[in-house]
Amino acid sequence: MSDHDHKPAPMVDEVSDFEILEMAVRELAIEKGLFSAEDHRVWTEYVHTLGPLPAARMVAKAWLDPEYKKLCASDGVEASKAVGVNWVTSPPTQFGTPSDYCNLRILVDTPTVKHVVVCTLCSCYPRPILGQSPEWYRTPNYRRRLVRWPRQVLAEFGLQLSPDVEIRVGDSNQKTRYFVMPVRPEGTEGWTEDQLTEIVTRDCLIGVAVPKPGITSNAKRAVHPAVHPVHHDHDHGH
Amino acid sequence: MSKIQHDRTHHAKMATGIGDPQCFKGKAGKAKFKEGDRVRIKDLPDIFYSRTMTYTRGAVGTVTKLVYESPAAEDEAWDNTDKPEWFYSVVFRQKELWPEYPDLYAKDTLETEFPERYLESA
Repeated sequence: MSDHDHKPAPMVDEVSDFEILEMAVRELAIEKGLFSAEDHRVWTEYVHTLGPLPAARMVAKAWLDPEYKKLCASDGVEASKAVGVNWVTSPPTQFGTPSDYCNLRILVDTPTVKHVVVCTLCSCYPRPILGQSPEWYRTPNYRRRLVRWPRQVLAEFGLQLSPDVEIRVGDSNQKTRYFVMPVRPEGTEGWTEDQLTEIVTRDCLIGVAVPKPGITSNAKRAVHPAVHPVHHDHDHGH
Repeated sequence: MSKIQHDRTHHAKMATGIGDPQCFKGKAGKAKFKEGDRVRIKDLPDIFYSRTMTYTRGAVGTVTKLVYESPAAEDEAWDNTDKPEWFYSVVFRQKELWPEYPDLYAKDTLETEFPERYLESA
């Protein structure tokens, strides 16, 4: 068709059924007055500010300050304020987010207790302090298996612990949201708060990894190639 | 024909500036259990919805913390928020939750939360 050349290039090659569904529900909600397009924009912009750095910094601060560590252990919501996160008033609602609530509990590891977090019922996650959850955290594979075979699942993440260490799985099934404060590793003596923050990765905060000097990113997840990969139809005939 | 009026802003009105579960503080009355108590998880009938996992039903654990007051999710999901309860964090030995859990890892535990209605003294 000759008018094909006059159309602007699309921004994306394909849109998923879920994205179409989201747009349809959002437009219907706005039409019915449940919220406004402006409300949605404000919320989206808030969500885009979230990531794992505030939680990582809380761990680094706690490693350097025993009093702050005690506050982290007893009152996670109050401790979050030190990194600029107010669980109640940072979200645009001014009463927390609907799925994350306002009851952060920080699970403090010791040399004899290692914590790891899951939500078997859905995939609850402490988003206001940790950002969005990784894909694997939401899979039935992780959610069903971690509670019953934690040693096996952690070994798949490359983490194997002595039988003398108690592994405590935290299943966030109600309004509490958790992150893990790992033990400060050897080889970090004299480090600054910034240096310590760098090695506390998101995977360390979930509990499937432990911090190590020199490791500042999450381990790569192996991706199994698709058995029936999607072919793009618009490739034909051009 | 009259329409049932549902106040969609009820939660916002009571929780704005306060937070959830903070907005239910002081509303559950006296807690039945305390830290250190041994409790058994009751297998209450679920009508459509529960947040007490099947794998905990009948298990015995120890209360580690009284975490907050809130309506039970089983009521809250249907917007019945009149009767907040105390919520408890309970720790279980993995060996007592799963029949095949190895003796080698006898120290392993699992911690999760329950509204008071699901707990009885053990």
